[in-house]
Order: sequence, then C-alpha cells, then structure tokens
Amino acid sequence: MSLQTPRILPSHLHAFHPSSTSSNTVRILGTVTALHGNTGTLTCGTNGDVTLILKSDARLQVGKLVEIVGKVADLEGGQGYGIRVLGSTEWGDPADCDYKIYENVVNATHKFKSIFYD
Amino acid sequence: MDGSYNNYSSSFGGGGGFMPGEANSPAGGKTGDRDNKTLRPVTAKQVLDASQPFPEAPFQIDGADVANVLLMGQIRNISSQSTNVTYKIDDGTGEVEVKKWVDSATADSMDTDDGKAPADGKTEVELNGHARVFGSIKSFGNKRYIGAHSVRPLTDINELHTHLLEATAVHLFFTRGPPGGGGGAAAGNAGGVDAVMGGADDYGAGQNKALASMSLVAKKIYNLLKTEPQDDTGLHMQVIASKLNMPASEVGRAGEELLGAGVIFSTMDEQTWAILEY
Repeated sequence: MSLQTPRILPSHLHAFHPSSTSSNTVRILGTVTALHGNTGTLTCGTNGDVTLILKSDARLQVGKLVEIVGKVADLEGGQGYGIRVLGSTEWGDPADCDYKIYENVVNATHKFKSIFYD
Repeated sequence: MDGSYNNYSSSFGGGGGFMPGEANSPAGGKTGDRDNKTLRPVTAKQVLDASQPFPEAPFQIDGADVANVLLMGQIRNISSQSTNVTYKIDDGTGEVEVKKWVDSATADSMDTDDGKAPADGKTEVELNGHARVFGSIKSFGNKRYIGAHSVRPLTDINELHTHLLEATAVHLFFTRGPPGGGGGAAAGNAGGVDAVMGGADDYGAGQNKALASMSLVAKKIYNLLKTEPQDDTGLHMQVIASKLNMPASEVGRAGEELLGAGVIFSTMDEQTWAILEY
C-alpha cells in the first residue's frame, strides 16, 4: 500500500527530503502560529517550528491545532526545509491535546516500523 | 453394565480425538471464536498485512488469531449503498475499506424516535472526520476489508494517539512476550519440572532469556515440550504441530530456531525434540 504518511517532528524533516527518500509525504501535528500570504508557521510543541507552503485555497486559522499532510520541500532562498501542504485537518484547541503523547507516537512509529510503515 | 461403560468411554474418547481434525468445520470455527473474544487495537497496515493460514481460517497478526480489531483513522470516502455503507479509513499507515451493514430496524427507530435524537447525531460520522471502527477482518476475493460492528466519530486527538501506542504495545506483547521477564507462562507451568530439576533454576532463567528473543511459535513449542507428558525421546514435530494446531512447516521453522539456540535437542531423529535441561 503506497498511501503512507509517516508522523514526524520538525527534527525529522531532513530524513524525508526528496534527495534522501522517494517517499516524502509526511504527517505533522502542530499549532498554527503565523500566516503570511502563501506561507505559514506551524509550532510543534517544544520541538520547534516548521514553515508551511500553502495552496491558495488553504483555510488555516492562527491558534488552532492542525494535522498537516504534505511533502517535504526546500524553502525559497535556501532557508532550509519546509512542508508543501496537501491537506490539513483541524483538531480545535491546542490545549485539548497532550503533545507529549504525539511525541511518543512519533518515536514508537519509527522504532517499531513494521506495523506502521514499509 | 461394563460393556455400556466401555462403549461410552470409547465413544467419548473418539469424539475428543476427532476435535482437532474438525477445526475446518463451521462448528470448529465457532469454538475458536468463543475462546477468542478479544478486541485488538491495530493499524491499517497490520490489517493489510494480516495473514490467513488457509482460506476461511481466522486472520492472524504477529502469529496470533484476531477475532475483532479496533482501528482509528480519517474517513477518506463514504459510499452509501442500500445494504451497506463503505468507508475508506486512512490512519497514515495505509488505507482500509470498512463495510457497515445497514440495519434497517435501527435506522428507522433512530429516524423516528425523537428521544434518540442526540444519540443519533453522535453516531454520525463525516467525510474527512475521524472515526473509531470495530469489527472483524474479512476478505472478498482478493480484497481485504473490515466488517464493522460499529463506526463512530472520534473527536479527541489524544484517543487517536493512544490507540497507536496501544497497537504498538499489543504488537510487542505478541512478538516479544509479556513485559517484565518473558517466559512467565513457562515458569508458571513448570512447577512439577522444577522439583525434579532442583538447583537448575538459574540455568532455566538463562534459557528464558534466550527464548525472549524468539518467535511466538518457538515459545509455544518450548512451553509444550516443557509441560506435555513425554518419555526421554521427547515429542515428534507432527505431534507438536497437531497439539498446537499449526502447520508442520511453521513448527519446523521454529524448531530450527530453538535447535540453533541450544534450548532443545533432537533425539531419535531430526524431527523428534526434547528440552535440553541437564
């Protein structure tokens, strides 16, 4: 099955860059903290920020918890990695989510890969 | 009097002996279902990877039969037919089709009973929303799907995340044994053997350590060899296969694992094994 979107944290972005892997579609959870035109900033608990490259029809709201499915891409001007958003799911108030659980899920899914990803 | 008693006992024995062979019949299948009513948390990938030893047999994940599974994920597609609703559930590890048969009786009562209105809204799942599904793995032709008993909306993201962790924990239970010192079952069953072994406890612990890294089938064989009454020559592979209700090829493979680690040894011929204890 090819429809796999590994859950990651900002520190894993490099591992899913198009240059290092053919499957660069990922899933990441965070709070939208800023929106500037066609880019946005996703804050992932205490794990840092990720720059989101948005489509014109994206409907993200600052302050909401969202789960992003997207492709890892290079940012313009060599500013490192970002995620080109393909889809997003809103999960409401970030306070309702225990981000520690998500961090453990990311760790477990990569440590015990056989039941999650090929 | 005597004769009838013998008749009774022989027919009873015959019935008992026939049971393993009957596993293929519907009755045998039901017996298995009754013993295994567990609800196992799984990922979509585990459902797609689940194996079936032979057609119509229960599906297996990590070598253990699964009766019911619990899956959580996002609904990517809903297609309503007159007899069933088919959902596509995506949890990031793959996509699984879920079929929920429409129960016309409940559907009607929900539509008409005003008192049930809040409950009705609660059971409604939406496209691109998340759902928790429980049901059993089915296959139709080459297509794998879940025959759902229940498809309900999921709104708390923590529930989704803990589900993935639970699935991991259960996977580890089946592949590595219970947490905190594997071979718990072996130790519990080995009471009689321990008395004979006397001071051999420490050695046994070493074997358990070796066992901990082995496959589930290997552990099952070891436990059977440890508990099953037998003579000095141990048990033949075919006997083990029929006692454990497993294909001989699988028993053979696991046996090599045990032989390689030196926890069992072959006796009369290469297919007859006993535990290496002294």
